[in-house]
Amino acid sequence: MPAIKEYDIIMKIIKRLHQPLLCTALVALVALTGCKSGESTESLPNTQNPGTGQYSGPAPATADVQAFKLNVWDNLSQGNRCGECHNSSGQSPRFAHEGDVNIAYAQANPVVNLDDPGNSALVTKVAGGHNCWLSSDQACADAITSMITGWAGGSSGSVNRIELEAPALRDPGGTLPFPESSGTFSTTVYPLLTTYCSDCHADGDTRPYLASGNVDTAYDAAKSRMSLTAPFSSRLVERLRDDRHNCWNNSCEDSADEMEAEIQALADSVNPADVDPDLVTSKALTLGGDGLLANSGGRFEDHVIALYEFKTGEGTTAFDTSGIEPSMHLTLSGNVEWVGGYGLSFGPAFTDDGTSVRSGKAQATTGNSRKLHNLLTASGEYSLEAWIVPANVTQEEARIVTYSGSAMARNLTLGQTLQNYDVLQRSTTTDQNAVFSTEDGANRLQASLQHVVVNFTPDQGREIYINGEHTGDVDPAPGGLLSEWDNNFALVLGNETDGNSPWEGSLRLVAFHNRALTPAQIRTNFEAGVGQKYYLLFGVSHLIDVPQAFIVFEVSQFDSYSYLFTQPFFVSLDDDAAPSGIPLEGMKLGINGRETLTGQAWSLLDIELNSGDYVAGRGQVLSRQGTIIPVEGGPAADEFFLSFERLGDHQNVVVEGSLPPAPTLPELPEAPEVGLKNFDAINATMARLTGVPMTNNEVSDTFDTVRQQLPSVANIEGFLASQQMAITQMAIGYCNEMVEDTTLRSAFFDTGFDFNLPAGSAFDGGNLDLLTGPLIDKMVGDSLAFQPLAADLETELGELTDTLSACSDCNTTERTETVVKASCAAVLGSATTLIH
Amino acid sequence: MDARSWSFLMRIFLGNPRLKRIPGNRSGLPDNTRPKAPAQQAPLLLAMLVALTPAALYAGDREQAARMHSRLTGVPPSEAVLQQMTTEIDGGDPVAAAYIAMDDPAFYNVTVKNLAAPWTNEAMTPFVPLNDYTATVIGLVRDEADFRNVLYDNVLYIGDTGGLPAYNTNNNAHYEALEASGADLGDSLQRVTQSTYTGLPSQATAGVMTTRAAAQAFFIDGTNRAMFRFTLMNHLCNDLEQVADVTLPVDRIRQDVSRSPGGDSRVFLNNCAGCHTGMDPMAQAFAYYDYEYDDNPELGELVYNTTGMTDPDTGTRVQGKYLINATNFEHGYITRDDQWDNYWRMGDNRRLGWDGSLPGSGEGAKSLGRELAHSDAFAQCKVRQVFEQVCLRKPGDAADRSELDSIVSSFRSSGFELKRAYAESAAYCMGE
Repeated sequence: MPAIKEYDIIMKIIKRLHQPLLCTALVALVALTGCKSGESTESLPNTQNPGTGQYSGPAPATADVQAFKLNVWDNLSQGNRCGECHNSSGQSPRFAHEGDVNIAYAQANPVVNLDDPGNSALVTKVAGGHNCWLSSDQACADAITSMITGWAGGSSGSVNRIELEAPALRDPGGTLPFPESSGTFSTTVYPLLTTYCSDCHADGDTRPYLASGNVDTAYDAAKSRMSLTAPFSSRLVERLRDDRHNCWNNSCEDSADEMEAEIQALADSVNPADVDPDLVTSKALTLGGDGLLANSGGRFEDHVIALYEFKTGEGTTAFDTSGIEPSMHLTLSGNVEWVGGYGLSFGPAFTDDGTSVRSGKAQATTGNSRKLHNLLTASGEYSLEAWIVPANVTQEEARIVTYSGSAMARNLTLGQTLQNYDVLQRSTTTDQNAVFSTEDGANRLQASLQHVVVNFTPDQGREIYINGEHTGDVDPAPGGLLSEWDNNFALVLGNETDGNSPWEGSLRLVAFHNRALTPAQIRTNFEAGVGQKYYLLFGVSHLIDVPQAFIVFEVSQFDSYSYLFTQPFFVSLDDDAAPSGIPLEGMKLGINGRETLTGQAWSLLDIELNSGDYVAGRGQVLSRQGTIIPVEGGPAADEFFLSFERLGDHQNVVVEGSLPPAPTLPELPEAPEVGLKNFDAINATMARLTGVPMTNNEVSDTFDTVRQQLPSVANIEGFLASQQMAITQMAIGYCNEMVEDTTLRSAFFDTGFDFNLPAGSAFDGGNLDLLTGPLIDKMVGDSLAFQPLAADLETELGELTDTLSACSDCNTTERTETVVKASCAAVLGSATTLIH
Repeated sequence: MDARSWSFLMRIFLGNPRLKRIPGNRSGLPDNTRPKAPAQQAPLLLAMLVALTPAALYAGDREQAARMHSRLTGVPPSEAVLQQMTTEIDGGDPVAAAYIAMDDPAFYNVTVKNLAAPWTNEAMTPFVPLNDYTATVIGLVRDEADFRNVLYDNVLYIGDTGGLPAYNTNNNAHYEALEASGADLGDSLQRVTQSTYTGLPSQATAGVMTTRAAAQAFFIDGTNRAMFRFTLMNHLCNDLEQVADVTLPVDRIRQDVSRSPGGDSRVFLNNCAGCHTGMDPMAQAFAYYDYEYDDNPELGELVYNTTGMTDPDTGTRVQGKYLINATNFEHGYITRDDQWDNYWRMGDNRRLGWDGSLPGSGEGAKSLGRELAHSDAFAQCKVRQVFEQVCLRKPGDAADRSELDSIVSSFRSSGFELKRAYAESAAYCMGE
């Protein structure tokens, strides 16, 4: 029998000290429309502005009635909304009583929950399909929530109390276990992998080795990337369908379908099975069916004038649920997708199978966008707040949120350039595109979820806050007024109005406030987070001797592909109970009947549940950490449970299996038997052969100059002309220094070569042998079969000296030295010393 | 080799149009024999180079000795040394011949230096000055020390020749001067106690990982994960890609790692997590280290938060860099000390061969260095690196891999003397 206890998580509602000045202005904007009746669940879209006449009844009796009027009554009492039926002569409750707002206030109180506006009967009724004036019941519910929240802000001392309620207890359902052997895999998924993925994912290439030559290795790698319960959500399928990752036959959709079909075939070969009986499991829960709402308010939204929470999750309209009219709904076009757990994802233009899709964009009408102009120019300040997930840090001049008319005309833009946020704005002190960016090199923008607030006030100009902290960047433009804003522009998310500055990423929330948020308010909104959070209470009383015992997680859908589980704690809903010396080891998250293969954060947990760490009503914290696990069938379908290696007296001894087979290393093509010497070896070789030390200034200068031009790897097939040129310069440098130094040259040419003879006779007859002999003996080596034959070298060197010495007016000793240097360099810089 | 090719090879030098631009070139070589542009000649030259090689494939003892010497040292042997080596080979002891070759200073100045130099920088280029990392590797090889000490011992090698600036924790001048002097590195390095020269507590030393060069390369900026990754690459011959395992626990992955990069958590679960599951719990060993510099990274030094110190950014001994970008995922791991754990003792990476006599966890870089250096992967990596350096190719077939296993066994039984691996690799690749 479920018990209800108050849980001491207290979420303070931010007090709202000032109601928006705009409310009175809004009165003039609304217009009366026709009437609807009954409690039909039929959707009644109505895009007209609400209407209200001038209120002429009794004045609000109290400040709270006044707050009710400004926030709720003014927005709902019109004939095209609740005022159609819940008026002075209509259905009860008559909270839209047009004649006396004090009566309306009294009628409203029983159907609102100021502590938890989202749980007001007024909200849940509409959310359940009761005469929403928009195409989305959720959007109407959110709008009314905003209105009640605005009203509640005027009440003092309100706190939110999250009550933990025991869920229905049930055992984890069955699962589709992976087959023990790779047999079926080898005939279903594996052929696709080896056919289309082996260029990269074969043995020894890029992990995972999905296309390994060993099918067991491939199967082992593929398991964590296949979902037998929801093949469409398998990583192998999503990589093709969503990421367009190396599809085949020019169609990612077809490729994904083919892969999904093979995984389905593998799944079909498996008989559903109960949860592994060896597992020690908790009771099971689903997020949609068993989750307790864990957040209700906590954001500061006193001055919000436009709010996008992107909760709808389908369709082509993103609703402005601020409750401030006119509603500035956005029309989605191009590559825009809804993000699970609330949000919009903007993608690039693409073509698949002949179909072209433009880059994503969400745009409001110019008329509705005028709300921004009217309300922000009136206040002269603003906060633009957004939860942003840039898809990458490489895009430039990409528009995240813009209120503009064209690429070159705007009132306000928040954009991305690499790892910087850009704020472009028009004011009386700037042109219409004045740029203010986060500091280069600070890398403020990261491709992860970030809370970004752009503040503007006439005093401070623009300021940027990221994740609750001021970046410290100072607006180069002095503050000014917004009075020159153009009221013919449109609000666009994810792109420029012309569609030519697409931004890739996700927006989880966007809000405009017509007062600049204070740093504390910004921090509050950052800490409130984004998306709907739930508590999941996993029952464990069947495992331990503690009544109504649960392990509780705060859970949310992190993005379209994963759930976030955080901050587990143990608690008994029986205030008189407490654990005593209960060991808890190796806690794992399970989904749809089996432990998830990735994202386990508490599998090494080793803790004792004991009364010393336990506080009645608060429980015992198990960990401050969180983790994400993959979505399979979606929040409504996925069933979670916990498993334990040990909890109390129950134990599941986990023994790690044997190692999977090692990847088979491929045979490499036969490599050349010889290779190049590297730069240091060449230098050392030349020094050793010539006797010129490497520290000689001339040669060391040359070496420093050409060092990185010389070979650095042995692969002879990579030899380059530039390397040969560097070697040449080194050889000439060394030979030059040797010949110039009479001691060194005498030591080298110990055969007595006569440098005092002019070139015309220095190489005649036997004199040539005095040159070639030392060159060949000392640089090439003697009696080495892999070196050239000495006779061939002598012939070549003879031809060389003949050529070089046969010139007019050069029968000098200087020429003789030159020819010797050339001959030396020819041998020293040749392959005989370069390769080994 | 035919005469035409040889003639061409010689003339290419004489025809180099860039000769006159060589700094300090006073050779005044004649310019009347300038042939084709070098770029046109390169393919021909390459073809000629290859044409030179067949004789090397079927070499006699003398040729084997010459090749062995050149592969081990980069320079040709003197005739006397060649004779000695030939005799050893002829006597059936090519390993002894290799040890003769390794007496040549070029073995240290060229070969070992170029083995280690790429390990000392992120670009993995050998074009870097001599530094304390490289010198320490050379010294350990020369002294035939247990090479595993390279990752955890309190050891440093400094120059012991005159006229050098003293070792300085703020610059590399000492080693650059030593290199510029042309000193024989096999004879001019002195083993010293690292902590004495760097000021680190002895328990904070971890071989080359705590040298100044390594700190400049891998502790600079960032999150210190670079030290782990490059140590893994340079000493276990695995990049993170090869050891990625998404099935390991994610509990030690820090807050700075986005769980939904670009809004897609699949990327984290299937890619990022694969590396970080193992890396982050081990890189925690470096939590107290940083490399501090002002404007010029060349003039900075390794710093370490010793016992009792409190880092102003963290309030603990942990460097501030370990807690940066904490809002990327606030539920991630918060580093509070330098406790490391080797999660790769679970899962596929058990195959790296961890030492069962070690606990697989510890505190600080020294014990992590021991964990890494005592793995099978370390020994295999060192032998593989030496093999590739001496044989000029990767082990490519079953015979090569079998030989590699054999050399690893010898490396172990020798007490992890790297020269042994050099000698046996050179013997294997000396030609037939």
